Amino acid sequence: MRSVALIVCLFLAACGGEAEAPLVASDIVITEPMPGSHMSAGYMSFTNNTSDAINITHVVSAEFDAVEMHESLVEGGVAKMRPIETLVIPAHSSVSLQPGGKHLMLMRPTGALHTVSLRFYNVHTLLLNVSAPVSRRNN
Amino acid sequence: MSPKNLILGILLGSALAAGIFVATKITTPAEPQSAFIIPISSAMPEFSLLDQTGAAVTADTFRGQWDLVFFGFTNCPDICPTTLQTLASAKREFAAAGAETLPRIVLVSVDPERDTPELLGQYVDYFGDDNLAVTGQLEEVTKLTKALGIYFEKAPTDDGNYGVNHSATVLVIDPKGEFMALFSAPHLVADYLHDLPIIMDSQ
Repeated sequence: MRSVALIVCLFLAACGGEAEAPLVASDIVITEPMPGSHMSAGYMSFTNNTSDAINITHVVSAEFDAVEMHESLVEGGVAKMRPIETLVIPAHSSVSLQPGGKHLMLMRPTGALHTVSLRFYNVHTLLLNVSAPVSRRNN
Repeated sequence: MSPKNLILGILLGSALAAGIFVATKITTPAEPQSAFIIPISSAMPEFSLLDQTGAAVTADTFRGQWDLVFFGFTNCPDICPTTLQTLASAKREFAAAGAETLPRIVLVSVDPERDTPELLGQYVDYFGDDNLAVTGQLEEVTKLTKALGIYFEKAPTDDGNYGVNHSATVLVIDPKGEFMALFSAPHLVADYLHDLPIIMDSQ
């Protein structure tokens, strides 16, 4: 189910060579929309290899009308979802998006889903461009 | 001490240790590690909803088998499928272990305006066979949730749509149709594998 992302570009200018990528996404899982639903979830781990925090402010996918960052919370026994305006990856740290926690909400597929591309931005700066196959939830 | 007495001593010691072990197993009932057993179980209230085939779902529907009941909705992208996946995984492991009695997984919609019986049926079928989808009129859903202490409320989103905040609890309904235990989030397969046999054996 898990796949290794095809990392096309990292901070664009940093592509190529053997230098450690500033931002890496791994263990990417994009779930297929549940029957009757027009939403997928995205899970992955981000690793920031730089000495500065990296802020992800929005995500775009060609395969979905909209992508939002959310966090599932259980407060007082009640499950809620809170939008994440900015996902901060601290310097030399990793942040995981995982079931029951932070995740991507991918809404309204634009067509048949096989592989999903995701572009992560800090405002207008493209930080990361990855793609991963859609997978069935591992029942 | 002679070799004969030494051997006798070892045998007696082993027998004593085995006796203590067996006595401990017999006298100490296993305890759930996660689930909470309701001190006084309660009968399901009167309500009338629909399953995925359009057939009526009432309190009687919950008699005759063990049910794991979760309240969620199809447009919930994370908590609901993750919880149902956990329940399905636990059920599959019970089946693989040869369990004679398997619980039924039940999803009651807290978004009945959007979750039609057909839609909810497709959703629960994703997690295996014999699952029950329950939806219908909002006021009938509310009869059920209020009686069982389940909270839910629409949460408007920026795009003019809405999500639903809802209790993350999984209720255990026994074959008498009584609410007798619950699992709180986070839901872990290991907790169900450990606790459900204890709960089911307590009847």
